[in-house]
Amino acid sequence: MYDTPKLESETVTDEVKISARGCQVHYGDNHAIKDVDIDIQDKTVTSFIGPSGCGKSTFLRCLNRMNDTIDICRVQGNITLDGQDIYDPRVDPVQLRARVGMVFQKPNPFPKSIYDNVAYGPKIHGMARNKADLDGIVEKSLRRAAIWDEVKDRLGAPGTGLSGGQQQRLCIARAVATEPEVLLMDEPCSALDPIATAQVEELIDELRQDYSVVIVTHSMQQAARVSQKTAFFHLGNLVEYGDTGQIFTNPADTRTESYITGRIG
Amino acid sequence: MTDATVPPAVARPGLFEGDARTRKRNAAERRFRLYGMIAVGAGLFFLVTLLFAIVSNGIGAFQQTSFTLRVEMREDVLDKPGNRNIEDIKAVKTFAYKPLLRAAILREIEGNGIDTPLSGAKIVGFSSDLDKLLSDGAAAKLRNQVLANPELIGRTVEVTVLASSRVDGYLKGRVTRESIARDKNLDAEHLDLVDVLRGAGVVGKGINTAFITGTDASDARPEQAGMGVSILGSFFMMLVVLLLALPIGVAASIYLEEFAPQNRFTDLIEVNISNLAAVPSIVFGILGLAVFIQFMHLPQSAPLVGGLVLTLMTLPTIIISTRASLKSVPPSIRDAALGVGASKMQAVFHHVLPLAMPGILTGTIIGLAQALGETAPLLLIGMVGYIASNYPDGVGAGFLDPNSAMPAQIYEWAKRADPAFYERAWGGIIVLLVFLAAMNILAIILRRRFERRW
Amino acid sequence: MPERHIVSSYDRDLESIQATIMKMGGLVEAAILDAATSLEERDEELAERVRRGDKAIDALEEKVNEETVRLLALRQPSAGDLRTVLTVMKISSNLERIGDYAKNMAKRTGVLVQMQPVDGSSGAIRRMAKTVEAMLKDVLDSYIQRDAELATDVRMRDEEVDQMYNALFREFLTFMMEDPRNITACMHLHFIAKNIERMGDHVTAIAEQVIYLVTGTLPEDSRPKANRGAYINPEVTDG
Repeated sequence: MYDTPKLESETVTDEVKISARGCQVHYGDNHAIKDVDIDIQDKTVTSFIGPSGCGKSTFLRCLNRMNDTIDICRVQGNITLDGQDIYDPRVDPVQLRARVGMVFQKPNPFPKSIYDNVAYGPKIHGMARNKADLDGIVEKSLRRAAIWDEVKDRLGAPGTGLSGGQQQRLCIARAVATEPEVLLMDEPCSALDPIATAQVEELIDELRQDYSVVIVTHSMQQAARVSQKTAFFHLGNLVEYGDTGQIFTNPADTRTESYITGRIG
Repeated sequence: MTDATVPPAVARPGLFEGDARTRKRNAAERRFRLYGMIAVGAGLFFLVTLLFAIVSNGIGAFQQTSFTLRVEMREDVLDKPGNRNIEDIKAVKTFAYKPLLRAAILREIEGNGIDTPLSGAKIVGFSSDLDKLLSDGAAAKLRNQVLANPELIGRTVEVTVLASSRVDGYLKGRVTRESIARDKNLDAEHLDLVDVLRGAGVVGKGINTAFITGTDASDARPEQAGMGVSILGSFFMMLVVLLLALPIGVAASIYLEEFAPQNRFTDLIEVNISNLAAVPSIVFGILGLAVFIQFMHLPQSAPLVGGLVLTLMTLPTIIISTRASLKSVPPSIRDAALGVGASKMQAVFHHVLPLAMPGILTGTIIGLAQALGETAPLLLIGMVGYIASNYPDGVGAGFLDPNSAMPAQIYEWAKRADPAFYERAWGGIIVLLVFLAAMNILAIILRRRFERRW
Repeated sequence: MPERHIVSSYDRDLESIQATIMKMGGLVEAAILDAATSLEERDEELAERVRRGDKAIDALEEKVNEETVRLLALRQPSAGDLRTVLTVMKISSNLERIGDYAKNMAKRTGVLVQMQPVDGSSGAIRRMAKTVEAMLKDVLDSYIQRDAELATDVRMRDEEVDQMYNALFREFLTFMMEDPRNITACMHLHFIAKNIERMGDHVTAIAEQVIYLVTGTLPEDSRPKANRGAYINPEVTDG
């Protein structure tokens, strides 16, 4: 008998990168996240799925404290990155966000040149000692985002002039330029056409070598395609969290089943 | 979902025949378009009428009638000792220059063989019937010329002096033979003489640069009045407004929009800023009078105080427009900046503010233009009135010396009885409008330039 | 699953496939019974009808395949729906095989009617066919009702069929040894018995699919096997 290679989608490490315990989020009077416990693994793509308003984006934004910018938002419970509480008063959210990068729903490059878009993060974090360093970081990030070949001849051109898919990959390059450990993606493909989506998905799979990627998506097919772990949120609860293969063939919870098979639930 | 819809029972008309409902709808639309065009047309009509009225009334202010006379600078009158000592020449007052001008006119009359009952004979005191042709300032101008260049004494010099406002009015058609019948200042004989002298090239209209550069003049000498000093006054005020209102307004807006917590207190501030924008400007004038002049004892009528008052008045405008343009920057840009680990301030100053800049500049310039045209608050702090002084010496004096402002100057002229001043008021409005148009064009150019970058 | 899909045409597609499967199941059940009856009653005409009827079963299988491929391509089913579609494909191919065995029975019946009947055998075969037909009926019921227990029960009942086959096998062996002239008929009858035994195995496979459909996992424990008899040396048994 051969020792058959494992399916790539099954290879996950067991190292926990982010861990949440009893996480509660309130938006004013609205209890948006109810008591969520989750362990997000390193070098793994984890997808959050669920109907609109289920709290998946809210929870994602808790992971790099983007919710801090919203006055009425209160986060309780415990979220740790490598065992350190990210809501500890000693933690500067700015520093945290350099380690936990974020890519947003709509491609949102700065209205600056492609080069400046990528160089901005390293610049403000003082990651480059000189121009050559910075050039190196920019090239490395653009290569990692699989867009280098498309833009290397026009680094001075505005980032907003690229196509939607290129813009999103530029945003990913911008996010990886600060050498984050975790990459949060909030519906990164919802504004892209299928080809661009496929390119971004391919990129996400490559990024898994170096990062822990958490992706919120409305497309269950996308979650199935790109992630190794899937978490299903419903009405602020984490209903089910497990291997993507298991969630999509044989979910344990009937709510998950109803949602992923497209039934009213 | 539900049952398939039942096909309509009624037979539908063909596509080419519109039904009654459609015709009615189309007619309503056509009517609405017509109303719109009528409204736009009416607006255009009023605008054109207004512009025509302003230009036709005010264009005269940019031309001025003057006499070109060959004046004999008699040494025995101007410099009796004959040693060109400047102190001696200064001792000779303008009265002494009047006869010289009078003689020059008489020479023109004789030289051209004109038959006129006017003889240069004295009527009252030092005045003669010929003096009414010239501006009161003519002799003073001659004296200044001599003081500047004593070498002229003893020579016959060709000088250009302003005609009186009545003569000026006659050449511009404002003064007619009918209107002078009720006027003690000028007789028909004067007009006959002017007609002939005009033919001889002694009297003529020319471009009136003094209107742009000159100072205000007394009631008796409208032909000398100019906007120059009030333009400077406005300029200094605008400088104060720009230097104070822009930084204060932008800083306040950024704080309120990006940093301030959302609570009752900030809500209150917001409501009050909106209300301040609607406060009548005269209220700001009272405030300026009470605070800056009576309490802080700043000089009256000074552009500094005017600028401070106008700053208060402009701040709400700038804050509102700046906040609007900050709000219009998509939140995704802020997210993007925060997402790569920028601090809130870095996000605002590196990304949000540059994007909001065209809007902020436009708002600021519109605010400045509004302040430039503001009269009411200036009345209360005394920045209106007779400022016939010379130009301020130096920037400090420019801010602190009494001055007027363009709209105040226009108001002042419009108040005066003499129709010649009335003409200048219209002319002043043209100057003011040109400035406003220039500022608006500047706003458009700046906006274009900042926006065109991407 | 009690709830309906938000996209109602999805439900209609799934229902259509299920209906085809049930229709196919009905045809296969009838084919088994008819084949057994034709053998017992030496009814050549009925056998001919069974043979011809297989075409309809094949056509239905084709239809199920087309519809499932369509559904997979257009709806991208997941979880329960995905299992339903996969199960349907397997059930239909199993049913088709059962249909083929029934046809083969009918063919051999056509040959057997030309020969001397072998006493008592056709009744035993009919009982065996009846048992398999009942299992098939139950397994299709368990599929419709998503009843894993019933499916497990059907799966266990296959042992019964195997035992019947073993008994027949010995019987035919004895007949053939008694009288070599029976060999041709007995060989045919043996193949028929074997066919029915295979049908039982396919029904078991369907039962396993139903268990997978309901629970998400295939049963792991090996089911009881009782066809050891086929590997017994007749000489030894005799002796």
